[in-house]
Amino acid sequence: MTTNPRPTPSPNAPPQDALLSARALVKSYEHAPALRGVSFSASRGEIVAITGPSGSGKSTLLLCLAGILIPDAGEVRFDGLRLDEASEAERSRLRRTSFGVLFQFGQLVPELSASENVALPLLLGGRPRRAAVAAAGTWLDRFGVSDLGERRPGEVSGGQAQRIAMARAMVTEPQVLFADEPTGALDTLAGEQVMTQLTRVAREAGTTVLLVTHEATIAAYADREVAVRDGMIDTDAFATSTVAR
Amino acid sequence: MSAALAATGTARKAAPDRLVVARPGRPGLVTVLRLAAGGGRADRVRIALTAVGAAAAVVALLAAATVAATGADDGPYTSALLNEPGLHPGVVAALVLLCVPVLTFTGQCARIGAPARDRRLATLRLIGATPADVRRIAGAETALAAALGALAGLGAYLLGRALLGTPVIATRSVQREVPLENGDLQFIIESVTGPALQLPTDVLPSWQVIVLGVVAVPLGAGIAGQLALRRVALTPFGLVRAARVRPVRLIPLVAFLAGTAGMAVFSGIIRLLEPPASAAPAIALLFLLLFLLSVTGLIMGTAALASMIGGIVAPRTGRPALLIAARRLRAAPHDASRANAAVLTVVMVAAAVQGYRENLLLATANNTSDVYASGTYLASLALLIGGIVAALGLLVGAVESVLTRRRTLAALVAAGTPTAVLRRAVLLEVLLPLTPAILVSTAAGALAARGLFGTTVQTSGEVVMAEGPVVPVTMIEVPVPWMELGTVAGLALTLTALLTLAVMPLLTRAVDATELRTT
Repeated sequence: MTTNPRPTPSPNAPPQDALLSARALVKSYEHAPALRGVSFSASRGEIVAITGPSGSGKSTLLLCLAGILIPDAGEVRFDGLRLDEASEAERSRLRRTSFGVLFQFGQLVPELSASENVALPLLLGGRPRRAAVAAAGTWLDRFGVSDLGERRPGEVSGGQAQRIAMARAMVTEPQVLFADEPTGALDTLAGEQVMTQLTRVAREAGTTVLLVTHEATIAAYADREVAVRDGMIDTDAFATSTVAR
Repeated sequence: MSAALAATGTARKAAPDRLVVARPGRPGLVTVLRLAAGGGRADRVRIALTAVGAAAAVVALLAAATVAATGADDGPYTSALLNEPGLHPGVVAALVLLCVPVLTFTGQCARIGAPARDRRLATLRLIGATPADVRRIAGAETALAAALGALAGLGAYLLGRALLGTPVIATRSVQREVPLENGDLQFIIESVTGPALQLPTDVLPSWQVIVLGVVAVPLGAGIAGQLALRRVALTPFGLVRAARVRPVRLIPLVAFLAGTAGMAVFSGIIRLLEPPASAAPAIALLFLLLFLLSVTGLIMGTAALASMIGGIVAPRTGRPALLIAARRLRAAPHDASRANAAVLTVVMVAAAVQGYRENLLLATANNTSDVYASGTYLASLALLIGGIVAALGLLVGAVESVLTRRRTLAALVAAGTPTAVLRRAVLLEVLLPLTPAILVSTAAGALAARGLFGTTVQTSGEVVMAEGPVVPVTMIEVPVPWMELGTVAGLALTLTALLTLAVMPLLTRAVDATELRTT
């Protein structure tokens, strides 16, 4: 059961307007089960927080939804396409064009400048360097870090690096942004600034955001919250979350 | 003694149960060795490879000592090179030089799993080990691995002696002196078939030399391990290397050009100066210095070259693989030069040997002895082995480079970067600086040979026959051995490219999505 303050259809039957949905996902690492029959859906432009304690399976759920991991069982659909059946090349292309991904750390290439890091997905798509760098400058500007274009990741603060990473995740104007603990390595103030900018830009662009976090203050930026515990949707959290909201 | 001091002394004696901060104890040898060997898989791989490198170095050193101890009365051997005591110094030098790529390879292996080892050592600091304890543990790990390797090397050497100690029937050339009626000597080369040893297994160096060879390698490795940590702050929060951001300098390039130019005109200048025969050792030393200047400049200049290539390519390319490779070269040019050092040294020496071989074979074209041909053949074989070992060091560097960046690489793949792009980036990172450096080192080696041995040779004439001396002396222009030089450069490039490609399966595994899990 998803913990949604708004009415939600049955977990096993994704809503008709769902852009991204999953049904009965099962995933194990060696002999350790990470997901045990999770169903999920997200609509266009929706911001969904996936919460839960460490080891609950929330990151695994995100990676399965992004087509980065293939579930052992169950299905993942994006805009009608079965991601769990798509080839690695198809999923890579999708992640390059329709998805954006944002992690806690280690996502920027340390040797590239901020501008080149942001331009990289466009270069991978065949955009000429000049046009790619120009687009990167625009997105760096939207996240308030245009003056850092020539700096390398090691020369900026954690909050600035995360904003550069957000610009890179959004530069292809993806339909879905997957963010795994995007503020996990930041202090409270920097984390809030990052979330404010992330949600503002995503709402302006109409991007669906799936946000994995274990912090209630970060989850509060989302339209709704899905709690995961022991590889399953935590139904007990629904009541708590609803009452809190 | 002052009253105050006397009082203090009395007080100490009077209060034996007061808290005394004792001199901290040091962990015993067994504890140090246990902690040194107590790492994970990467640590075990590092220890194993260090042991293999040490074993190879000990075998090469003992082989060199054996050849050095071989005299004119020993043998005979199937190789004409071993039957000529005058050529033994060259063989010994080649075997000792073989230790250079071997030890460079071992040095590269010391980087395997370094981050995990740093964390382990930091944990030891956290639980109370002093920086000196941690250095001892790190040094002990290297020395222990090298000691095991050295013993294995000694075992392999003795086993090799036993296995190859049986004479075989072989045909070899023997030079015989026949006095002529006019008092001159006639040298006749004959073919003799009979029992001969393949290697000097009938000669054993003195036990002092054997002990020295076996002890020197682990001792050197332990000292090198200590030196590697001399600029490291061993804190409980991790090992912080006081890595200076070393600017790339042009001085190495100047040194390389000066050394190579000096070698290229060496024999011409010596001819002009007409030095006395007694100056021969000084002249040889001067050439050796020029050679070392050139090699050192080339090795250190590779960093400048890598940085320059990165600086030129990165701002202009729109190809992601090229961009990643070029930016990495620009950011860490010294990584490339470290990995390439041994390969470039071997290539330069190999090119010089090919040039020398061309001179030698032309000059001795009429000599039926195979001593020269077999000598250059053995030198080429030793260089090929050295090249393979040096390229393996390059492989180790590439593996470590991928492993330390695996999270960033995994994030790139998660963001849609095709793995093929990263594979190309890794390959380009190796080949971009190495290709021009190999070509330059090949040219420098060839120039060194032509500079030292000249561009013309005087033939040795025909073998003197009993009817009378017939020695037509002719001067022959020595052609540039393009084919051989091309083979040296091509082999080096092919080998390094193939070994870099061998890293690709690891890269595919390293970018696994499980690297991205945070919870």
